[in-house]
Amino acid sequence: MAMETDVLIIGAGPAGLAAAFELASRGLEVTLVDESAAAGGQLVQQTQLIRSLPAPFQPMRGFALAEALTKRLAALPVRYLLGHRMIGLYRDGSVGVADEANVFPLKARKIVVATGAAENAVPFPKWTLPGIITIGAAQTLINRDFVRPGKHAVIVGSSDFAVDVALQLADVGVNIKAVVERQSALLARDAEKVAQLKQSGIPTYVNAAVKEARGKGEVAEIDIQLSERVITEHVDLVCLDGGRSPVLEACYQLGCSFGYQQELGGWLPQYNKRLQTDREDVFLAGNAAGISTQGVVLATGMIAGVSVCEALRVIGGEEAERLRSALWKELEVLETTLFPEVWQARLRHMDNFGNPLLKEQFIS
Amino acid sequence: MHIKHHPVLGKRLSETVTFYFQDQPYTAYRGQTVAAALMANGIKKLGLSRKLLQPRGLFCARGRCCSCYMTVNGEDHVRTCLIKVEEGMKVYPNLEDPEVTNDGHGD
Ligand code: FES
Repeated sequence: MAMETDVLIIGAGPAGLAAAFELASRGLEVTLVDESAAAGGQLVQQTQLIRSLPAPFQPMRGFALAEALTKRLAALPVRYLLGHRMIGLYRDGSVGVADEANVFPLKARKIVVATGAAENAVPFPKWTLPGIITIGAAQTLINRDFVRPGKHAVIVGSSDFAVDVALQLADVGVNIKAVVERQSALLARDAEKVAQLKQSGIPTYVNAAVKEARGKGEVAEIDIQLSERVITEHVDLVCLDGGRSPVLEACYQLGCSFGYQQELGGWLPQYNKRLQTDREDVFLAGNAAGISTQGVVLATGMIAGVSVCEALRVIGGEEAERLRSALWKELEVLETTLFPEVWQARLRHMDNFGNPLLKEQFIS
Repeated sequence: MHIKHHPVLGKRLSETVTFYFQDQPYTAYRGQTVAAALMANGIKKLGLSRKLLQPRGLFCARGRCCSCYMTVNGEDHVRTCLIKVEEGMKVYPNLEDPEVTNDGHGD
């Protein structure tokens, strides 16, 4: 017999947890599926302070936010399927869920896809050598696994996230030999963090790129091309900050249509102001709806939650509209403060709702 | 190297476990993933790529890249960045294409 639920949320990160609260606090039964062993998504290993969050959240460190988001679900009708993932669809529309050993169908009245984002690689010769990892992986190792991934590191890329993690790596005793940025200035927008990086004596190279890495079985050296010369650093760790792209497999399988917005991370499912896709029972939340900051990710989860409540007639249309427009206003403020171009891309993306670039491409 | 005293999170590692990589014993802490526990012990090369047989190790640490596949307790193709290390666990590198098990449940 299929497991049944009112709302299936794929992904138990901040967006999925925020959506779950909107739904479960209004009495809907929610099932959260996530590959990881713990809820909270990437917040779990984030020790940096997250400042701009939607009401009713106060600024707090990532892991504390993960705890706060899960704690308020404790007494609500929420079922967690951790260590589980969606692997496909049954003919009757049930979602196939696997725990690595078994597969079973899960039947939901509505689905929220909150699958988050994946980090992109930064390719150069031998970038696949062991010891070359994503910047997110480095953070996960030090703050989730309590493992120092190397002694001498180079950071490739300079986003706010990369600068945060560079400082965190230095704090656990990793010698950061350089931060390498391809553009003509560091990309991080948090001036305080950049100042901290400079104060810590970590050299930063702009207009610079990795030429190649070398090593036998693992990384040992890395050549950095500066404007006039090449320098070689001896390292056992290289952290790549290649930006992130939405994780979309679930949306392919569900048959959503797609558009493209560079600023939101590239390809992403089409959605309207309800964060509803053209598959009417499928909604989106978080980075799967466009790469953004943690505060925005939470706001999209709340909007998707409100929209699903409306679709399931738990709240009326007028109330939903009122809640939604307040949340969109908040989202706009959060997004335009740091990344106005992302907000513009989001508006363009929603304008294209009826005009997808890809439709039914992925259904075999 | 294990981080015994984390500057923000404090002391989190307490219970040690012994696991085996290529039949050699190594010490890890409960709660760590297999890939992380290997890195803490200085082991970065977790296997070989399928086609060109180049060394591969942990890359994303969140189950996306499949670069950390290993054989764990007899099971091939396990993403070791997602599973937790356990007492007595036997871990081997993936050195070639694993055999795909087929017990008749697939279509
Ligand atoms: S390191 Fe990428 S899946 Fe494990």
